[in-house]
Amino acid sequence: MGEPSTTPSPLLQVHGVSKRFGQTEALNDVSLTLHGGEVLCIVGENGAGKSTLIKVLSGAIAPDAGSVQVGEAVYESLTPAEAMELGLATIYQEVELIDSLTVAANIFLGQEPTQRIPFLVDARVQNARAREILDTLHIDINERLLVEQLSAAQKQTLQIVKALHQESSILIMDEPTSSLGLEETRALMGLVRRLRERNLGIIYISHHLEEVFEIGDTVMILKDGRHVGTYPCGEVNSDFVVRKMVGRDASAFFSREPAPIGDVAFRADSVTWNGIVRDVSFDVRKGEVFGIGGLVGSGRSELASILYGAARPDTGRIVLGNRELSLRSPADAIEQGVCLVTEDRHVYGMFPERSIQENVAVVHNEFTPCRVVGTRSEAALADSMIDKLRIATFGRGQSIMNLSGGNQQKVMIARWLLDEYRLYIFDEPTKGVDVGAKQEIYALIVDAARNGKCVIMISSDMPELLSMSDRIGVMREGRMVRVFDNDSDLNEQELIRYFMGEEENNGDHEAHTEHQ
Amino acid sequence: MTTKLTQNTNRIKTVVTALARNQWFFVLVVLIVVSVFTHSMNPRFFRLTNILNVLERISVLGIVAAGATILIVSGNFDISVGANLGLSACVMAILIRMGYSSEVAVALGILSAIGANLVVGASSVLFRAPSFITSLACISVFQGTALAITGAQFQTIYGRFEVLGATRLFGVIPLVFIVCLVVYVAVFVMLYYTLLGRRVHAIGSNPKAAYLAGINVNANKLIFFAINGLLVGIAAALFLSRVGSASATTGQGMEIRAIGSAVIGGAVMTGGKGSVLGTFLGALLMGVIGNSLNLLRVSPYFQDVSFGVVLLLALGVTSFSHAKERRGTTG
Repeated sequence: MGEPSTTPSPLLQVHGVSKRFGQTEALNDVSLTLHGGEVLCIVGENGAGKSTLIKVLSGAIAPDAGSVQVGEAVYESLTPAEAMELGLATIYQEVELIDSLTVAANIFLGQEPTQRIPFLVDARVQNARAREILDTLHIDINERLLVEQLSAAQKQTLQIVKALHQESSILIMDEPTSSLGLEETRALMGLVRRLRERNLGIIYISHHLEEVFEIGDTVMILKDGRHVGTYPCGEVNSDFVVRKMVGRDASAFFSREPAPIGDVAFRADSVTWNGIVRDVSFDVRKGEVFGIGGLVGSGRSELASILYGAARPDTGRIVLGNRELSLRSPADAIEQGVCLVTEDRHVYGMFPERSIQENVAVVHNEFTPCRVVGTRSEAALADSMIDKLRIATFGRGQSIMNLSGGNQQKVMIARWLLDEYRLYIFDEPTKGVDVGAKQEIYALIVDAARNGKCVIMISSDMPELLSMSDRIGVMREGRMVRVFDNDSDLNEQELIRYFMGEEENNGDHEAHTEHQ
Repeated sequence: MTTKLTQNTNRIKTVVTALARNQWFFVLVVLIVVSVFTHSMNPRFFRLTNILNVLERISVLGIVAAGATILIVSGNFDISVGANLGLSACVMAILIRMGYSSEVAVALGILSAIGANLVVGASSVLFRAPSFITSLACISVFQGTALAITGAQFQTIYGRFEVLGATRLFGVIPLVFIVCLVVYVAVFVMLYYTLLGRRVHAIGSNPKAAYLAGINVNANKLIFFAINGLLVGIAAALFLSRVGSASATTGQGMEIRAIGSAVIGGAVMTGGKGSVLGTFLGALLMGVIGNSLNLLRVSPYFQDVSFGVVLLLALGVTSFSHAKERRGTTG
């Protein structure tokens, strides 16, 4: 594979690292080599294992197998402190700076120059030295400003400066441009180039292929936790990379029963919210599964929140049946026949300390006139759901925390099967769910469609999106950029191109029927 | 023979592990151990008069602790209940001294307790601040108000309002304790058999999920605080009737013992889980330990020490059993 042959011993090597989370293989036998003065870009779909790999390198998680080699020393796993000591600095998307201190103080945090009087920080020396450091990197930030006064881009830059000051030799940047504008991105790219000249090794993770080809020396492709290949950027093009990122066995796909499709029953008209969802319009017919795809952060979940009344749109109309909905709360939405299986059940769905029965019955109880609970009829409802969805449990009284991910998700769905709703929204319905339960959950989604309901399914799982949806809307940067009919012409490669905003260079969807 | 023996031990094991998961069971065991020990040192302990005395003494605390349990399970804290109880008792005493009937005085005093508690809850909702903090601020508001309306004087009403405190059912059982029991039964039913109780648990367990399940989190929070206020008001009436006087310092320290009783009984500080039975036993344990120390002629200062030690032990037991649970799920 394409490794620069001129450079001597590599800075960092990863040998056959694997990591499992329950049923999912987040990383499977992944290796990489990074030399000084090299920018190694890692690309892959949502959930390809990029974040897990970074966490292994930063010491946040210990791999199940494999090792990390820095220089000559080999480690089976790192702690965050060890990683820092070895000169591995990770710059996360969420900025880790102290807002109430100055730029200079943040750079010197933990190693402040002291005055002759013990314990007093010599702010003058600190500021002067910070100025020097910033100047050598051509960074125009006032060292006396408080961090809270900085822009997102400046904070990102400051994190890099801080890492450099700590004499890190390897920088790991996780989607550093995701919150930056065009100008700021340029500036960051310039900084990365200067760092490369200083012989630092840089691992750069990005969804934007233009950036990858602009600054990368090598590009490493991950897919489903596996290492697909590493190529010199000069020898490949974005078409090739996209093709390598997608492409899967046919076994990952499955066929669903068709549902008769009726008239349009749900419509969103120019829905806009807070700069995160921009002018989104689409409709869903009765019996249709409308898939929504896009990268994480493209505004998909926020759109779901709006349709479910958890966020109020700034402008736009939502029509269900013949009525325009004005939703002030999820309670409103539920009463109007909208339900949502939330994206992250641990944060937004489950009552972890409570029983299956309570978790199943919560919505039903809230919207029935009866004020008495814990009765036999409630128990019977819970039991019927445990039976129907084949939830593996000791009984309805078991705490939901002690179920497997798939069974927890079934409980979340069961909540909406006790009553009839008109619009079902599923946000990542099979996240953290094992294969068997996945199939059962798909069957439940198809069931809803066959009963003539409108179904919206948001998913990052490509085979899921392509197998389940009648149509697929692609969201990017808050807009619904394209709605595809899910016919045989549509493939993963085509979709991912739209996810990442590569389609402008490559013509329309008819021109690309080439298969992997 | 041996198989039968192992069968039996297995059955015993399952029963014991099932019980061990409930913290109230630990409290009960400690309660029995303390009682038996005290009785062996001083046989007066198990006399009827002594037991009734203990029950009468824990009734006021018990009612306040029942309210604390509701709030803790719902993920809230009210550390102003002591001051609120004092203010409410002062309102009642002043009204009685002004010549109002005790019914009117008690009703207005309870309303004042509910209103005060709604201030705590509403400020927490409005300012999106933890109720622990807003109730901290309210302590001085309530105490200051009590000082102002009483003119920092003791409000004595000896002989004018003894019906609650002095009545003995069948000539033996203190009415105060009966009221306490009724409150516990009501709170038990509320928490486990009504929609409101489910909301207490849901909001305490995961407020975001509760909101997304269609529950009006803020309105319900206010209801929980109102109920807590009602219980504080009832407790204030019982206290006033038993003691016969009130002042601005009445109820001081009550909040710590009330929250302590709930925690000893197994309420989880992060919300979503708690046991009314456990709280009752927790309050009872406090009463029994105090009584035992009296009977054993230990300096009364050690009552405070013993309370703190029991609370620490209870926290230890909770964290220990939770650690086991966590290991159970990942394994």
